[in-house]
Amino acid sequence: CKKDLEIDNPNNPTINNFWKTATDAQTGVNSIYSTFHRVGFCRNQFFMTIVRSDEGFSTSPNSTLINNFDVFNVTNYNLWEATTVWYDLYMGINRANQVLDNVPNISMDNTLKAQYLGEAKFLRGFFYYYLATLWGNVPVLLKTSTPTDYPGTTQQADVYAQAEKDFTDAAAALPETYDGANVGRATKGAAYGMLGKCYMQMHDYAKAQQAFDWLINGNGKNIYRLVTNYRDNFVEASENNTESVFEIQNAVNTTDNHDDDTQGNSDNLNYGTSIPPFFAPRPIGFTDGQARRWCVWEFLVEKTNSGGRDPRVDASFLYDSTDVRGPDFSMIYGQSFSSRNYSNVSGDPIAVATTHTVYFRKFLDDAIINYEYFHSGNNYRYLRYADILLLYAEALNAQGQTTQAYAYVDKVRARAGLPTLSTAKPGLSQSQFLAQLKHERVTELCGEGHRWEDLVRWGDLSTALAARDAGFANYQDKYALLPIPQYDRDVNPNLKQNPGW
Amino acid sequence: QTLSIKGKITDDAGIPVPGVTIQEKGTAAAAVTDAAGNYMLTVQPNATLLISHIGYLTQTIQAGSRSVINVSLAPEATGMADVVVIGYQTVRRKDLTGATGVVKMEDATKISTGSVAEQLQGLVPGVTVRNGGAPGQNAAIEIRGVGSFGNANPLYVIDGMIADANVTINPDDIASVQILKDASASAIYGSRAGNGVILITTKKGKSGEPRVTASAKYGIQQLHKTWDMMSAPQYLQTVKQEYANSAVALPADVTAQLNNNTINTDWQKATYQQAAYQDYNASISGGSGGGNYYLSGGYYSNEGTVAGNGFNRGSMRLNTEVKKGIVTVGENMLLSLSNGKYPGGGVNAFYNSAQMLPTIMVQGDQYKDANLYPANPGGWGLGSSNNPTYANNYLANVALDKVNFSYAKIVGNAYLGVKLTPWLDYKFNVGLETSFDYTKEVRDTGVWRYTNQPPQTFVSEGRSRYVNFLMEHTLNFNKTFGLHAINGVAGFSRADQGRDYTNASKNLLQDVNGNLFTTIGSALGAPAASGGLNNKWRNHGWLGRVNYAYADKYLLTVSGRIDQDSRFGPNYRTGYFPSAALGWRISKEDFFNVDWIKDLKLRGSYGKLGFSDVLTAWQYIGYLNTDPRAIYGTGQTPQVGAYQAVITNPNLRWETRLQTNVGADAQLFNNALAVSVDWYRSLSKDVLVLVPLPQYLGSAGSPYVNTGSIRNTGIEMAVTYKNYNHALKWDVSGNFTTIKNKVLSVGNQGVDVNGHAIDYLEPANFVRSQVGHAMASWYVIKTDGIFQNQGEIDAYKNKAGTIIQPNAKPGDIRYVDANGDGLINDQDRTFAGSPWPSLQTGLQFNASYKNFSLNMQLVGVFGNKIYDDVRRAIDNYQLTNFRKDINPWSPTNPGGTDPRLAVDNGNDPTVSVNNMGETNRWLENGSYVRLRNLEIGYSLPAAWTSKIKFHTARVFISAQNLLTITKYKGLDPDISNSNLGMRGLDSGFWPSSRIFSAGVNIDL
Repeated sequence: CKKDLEIDNPNNPTINNFWKTATDAQTGVNSIYSTFHRVGFCRNQFFMTIVRSDEGFSTSPNSTLINNFDVFNVTNYNLWEATTVWYDLYMGINRANQVLDNVPNISMDNTLKAQYLGEAKFLRGFFYYYLATLWGNVPVLLKTSTPTDYPGTTQQADVYAQAEKDFTDAAAALPETYDGANVGRATKGAAYGMLGKCYMQMHDYAKAQQAFDWLINGNGKNIYRLVTNYRDNFVEASENNTESVFEIQNAVNTTDNHDDDTQGNSDNLNYGTSIPPFFAPRPIGFTDGQARRWCVWEFLVEKTNSGGRDPRVDASFLYDSTDVRGPDFSMIYGQSFSSRNYSNVSGDPIAVATTHTVYFRKFLDDAIINYEYFHSGNNYRYLRYADILLLYAEALNAQGQTTQAYAYVDKVRARAGLPTLSTAKPGLSQSQFLAQLKHERVTELCGEGHRWEDLVRWGDLSTALAARDAGFANYQDKYALLPIPQYDRDVNPNLKQNPGW
Repeated sequence: QTLSIKGKITDDAGIPVPGVTIQEKGTAAAAVTDAAGNYMLTVQPNATLLISHIGYLTQTIQAGSRSVINVSLAPEATGMADVVVIGYQTVRRKDLTGATGVVKMEDATKISTGSVAEQLQGLVPGVTVRNGGAPGQNAAIEIRGVGSFGNANPLYVIDGMIADANVTINPDDIASVQILKDASASAIYGSRAGNGVILITTKKGKSGEPRVTASAKYGIQQLHKTWDMMSAPQYLQTVKQEYANSAVALPADVTAQLNNNTINTDWQKATYQQAAYQDYNASISGGSGGGNYYLSGGYYSNEGTVAGNGFNRGSMRLNTEVKKGIVTVGENMLLSLSNGKYPGGGVNAFYNSAQMLPTIMVQGDQYKDANLYPANPGGWGLGSSNNPTYANNYLANVALDKVNFSYAKIVGNAYLGVKLTPWLDYKFNVGLETSFDYTKEVRDTGVWRYTNQPPQTFVSEGRSRYVNFLMEHTLNFNKTFGLHAINGVAGFSRADQGRDYTNASKNLLQDVNGNLFTTIGSALGAPAASGGLNNKWRNHGWLGRVNYAYADKYLLTVSGRIDQDSRFGPNYRTGYFPSAALGWRISKEDFFNVDWIKDLKLRGSYGKLGFSDVLTAWQYIGYLNTDPRAIYGTGQTPQVGAYQAVITNPNLRWETRLQTNVGADAQLFNNALAVSVDWYRSLSKDVLVLVPLPQYLGSAGSPYVNTGSIRNTGIEMAVTYKNYNHALKWDVSGNFTTIKNKVLSVGNQGVDVNGHAIDYLEPANFVRSQVGHAMASWYVIKTDGIFQNQGEIDAYKNKAGTIIQPNAKPGDIRYVDANGDGLINDQDRTFAGSPWPSLQTGLQFNASYKNFSLNMQLVGVFGNKIYDDVRRAIDNYQLTNFRKDINPWSPTNPGGTDPRLAVDNGNDPTVSVNNMGETNRWLENGSYVRLRNLEIGYSLPAAWTSKIKFHTARVFISAQNLLTITKYKGLDPDISNSNLGMRGLDSGFWPSSRIFSAGVNIDL
């Protein structure tokens, strides 16, 4: 009779039956990667990293996006668009912690075990890196979550330190490359790249240089090189190319109808990204995020060696002159810009596209389709070798090695067809060189989600940016970090709110 | 000298009646019948005997010299002699000690509806019913308020089978409905009875010739109210003014249409329809010797008042019973097939048909322009940047996304009874409720809203099988010793429930020359499937009840149940649910000598119940989640990921209800007036609350914890007056209910910024369930009129002299700075009313004169506030059509009662302030009085019916929801949000229909 009331769940194994075999370790690691396709990471974070910075703005009919990510008018500390990012990052950390707690006890091939643990550490470090850049002072959890975890706040520097530790461990454990079946997983180069980024944000340029060194002068030099065609970095056909240091892998599930990878219905799970309709021009998308026109002007400062326009413009933006010949030739999803009849209506409540409007192009699918779905298979090339080269140059320059830094900027410029900096701007001082690097990073990395971190690192966040992005008129120092979600502080009073909030 | 008389007292059906008093008139000599109805009394010769019993007409009999006098009692028209089902037992209504509502079926069956719950609105005190609205939608029914944050549904028992009485059950088969409202009445259902129990008994055959009945009802229904929205010319002028006020350029199409507009669409007219309502039933029943049978068939159809919706049900019932010696064998069984349809995609017709612009056509060639309207090959009318609205074209939704469902259902039970001794019966009862459910969704090409992303076509089919199996052994005893009567039941009950499901879908439908192929096999795209067992649980219950009565005067009931349930965590596998009740028929006391009170009984009960049907299987066990998918490899194939996603609570268990009831029942003025009054208190403890987990734990969801507490108290009263003494026979019944709901605990919800414990649940920023207040109370910023001029704005300061709304413009809403800090924000929210009525009433009036009959039913609900979210969507003026009767403030209309017309575009930030959701601008008085039903019937004269060989035939016409008196501006104040934490939020509820119908009842 008692037995009658013990009913096994036929749908799912209980956790007690898990973490026994190499396969369990593998699927555990897979669950961490899956976090990248949740709505916080695959969509909402770009409002923080791109729209919030001076390169982007919003004319969304959803004024929430304008207030919170364009004009620095944040009143709701539990904003869905923000807390989903926070939540997803911690969900990834919980997944990584479960792997790190359990996989060491599995008896399996030691090389593979080391790799899995390295991947888990890399990914945990990656999530903490994001938390450190966006929220700064956050709780750090390094063990499988229990309901009674009420940690206090860890200071931003220590959060970076935790990420550095994870990346250091990961760099030691991860393979340099993978076979075709595993390409896209975290590599040694990715770990060194992220480690260097951590040090850059902490202004520890010597250590940053040291970390990047593996990619530039170490074994990585045989693995990474810039692709010839800049736009190859932003279209699906050329994913995981030689320039890719760490790339978020997206694939289209044509039967998708949700992006919660814990709710069931995994056949209908979106494991791509839903960002394109939010950045695409009307009437294809919602124009929730758009590019500031000054970004375009940055590209027009110099001409290429052959006297042409910087080819990175059309890879970066959709606007009236994506084609250098103008609106009749600039194609917006299969139709010319002029035939789309964009008019100039200012202050229109539902955000009409105007002839002045510029759209970020790098995440869009207009290369292959004439519309957008809420799923896209276009990989997010999070860490490109070009980025590493520019950061390396920045690290050298910061240590007074300006002359040595030129060569790495030139590699990036050469690919764009621009004259070398040594000929265009020889003999720059340290500060002039940094100013030049700021320009180089806009032209190379615009609309890829690095601008906010750059502005933080350079100490450039201020109302002065209002000259190019009117939203910054309302900027205050507290906006350097996002407010800690009130929801979590309600439950755990040990958490401190960020300064100024 | 004396004479000994004995005999047997039976009722009109020949069944012995115990407890009857036989008294010799003018003396003290008296006797009471035993369980077999036998009595013995010694009297003087030629005595006059008074034979009396509650619920029966008193008879006076001259004994003469007879020594055996058998009497058949005729029941009084009070219903007190009726046998009432109380769960595993039947008792006479007069012996009830618990709070049991008995539904007057004559009134219930007058209502045109698909479900039994909906028939009960206004009929029984303490029972709150909200109309289902949509065709095939179940009505919401609550007994004595809501004591749970998750689920307020009562437990249904149909002929002893614990099974849901939803729209798949034909109400026409129902003979009686009893509602168990307190712990004493319900405790026999233990851990599942906490929200009350509704006992349904279906019709049975009676001895005699086969009886054939048939009924038919056909009606026409429509919404009794729509929003009074502007026509195209009015809209164009208003929107022009709005843009001019904000100095924003008019969108191109608006300008063009102002010059020459040929479009004037009434979207509500296009969406709502006059629809047919049909209900046909036939039955044959009878019995002879030891057996009886009842066979019926029914067809019900409700076309729905909104395009693209509908529901129909065909059903068959067979109830039989056979007695042979000491053995009784019987069964009750319903087979039904229900079909229905609605558009997929979740578009609400009631918001969108009010918001959609009259300057947009339902369909037109201009909308096929792929440049302006991507993915709209059907040319469905849509908003655009030139015609600014994001409202959905509901008719496009109807055409492009079709959902059809079909439920095949079996509900029934079979039983074997053995009369072990004259006073002891054994019964073995086996019940089964099975449903085979099928849902199919077909998505065609196209969009129905501006900036919809073009979805791929797909077909999706879901099948599920629900099995609810019940097995019970019970022993019933019934014995009388002199003036002591004792009866009761003891038994064991085992329930086993589960649902498994299979879903499959495929995208890319073939469309060959306009013929859409909609099977999974014919679709060309990628398949998706899911399936499994999404719930499976068992319950073991040991149950018992003892009723003891002394001389019909003192009544005691002790009952209870011990439940073990697989849904409870291992540490809480077993729950105990005891109750006791006392009754005192004070009118039987010698000292009680009030002529006009025929019968007066006082009752009191106390007990503990559980509620566990909010739990699903395996909620307390941590399990592996295999839903994550990693992407890597050159093929970018999804790789399965697995981990423990949800942190679980191993101590999950039932919610507890501690219930007290004090009541009285009286028959007054020669039974002309019957009154019943109850006071109750139900204290819910261990209520399941989602205790928030910090998001940094990364858990996919918070676990339920048994930690909340809610109290409901109230008074119920029911009064019936009859006057059958004249040719005009009439009766009137009225009832009222008060329910006072108070949250006592919401568990540990954390601490707020000021260090105070958070003692509330806040599902949205305008509604709170806070300790000390009613659940789901409105919590809003109060408005205080409209700023008439800049002077008023400048003068509106707090005590410190801060101008409170410095950015406001004349025509903006003035808000009350409740905390006096000189700012208007969420800190200024205060409690502003409750979604719960302070008074609910029902009134039924029946009259007959010769062959004519009249039935009138009224429902009154008072004192609640509704949040009119549809009006919020319209009256914010943004991207929507306008109500005709808005009265916006403007410099030329300084008395305007609505805020100024202006565009919310960020340059004018106070427009959005006017439209904030968390203000009392959207709260409205939800009180209403409704003439729920009016029916006039005519029984054909016997002279006619005999010609066509009918026993009786009756024709009738009826009008349902003919008249509603309310101040509520929305379509229908009869709403109840299924989210109990936002109970009074009208998020586009389907209003009750007004139904005019005609019908006929025939008894062959």
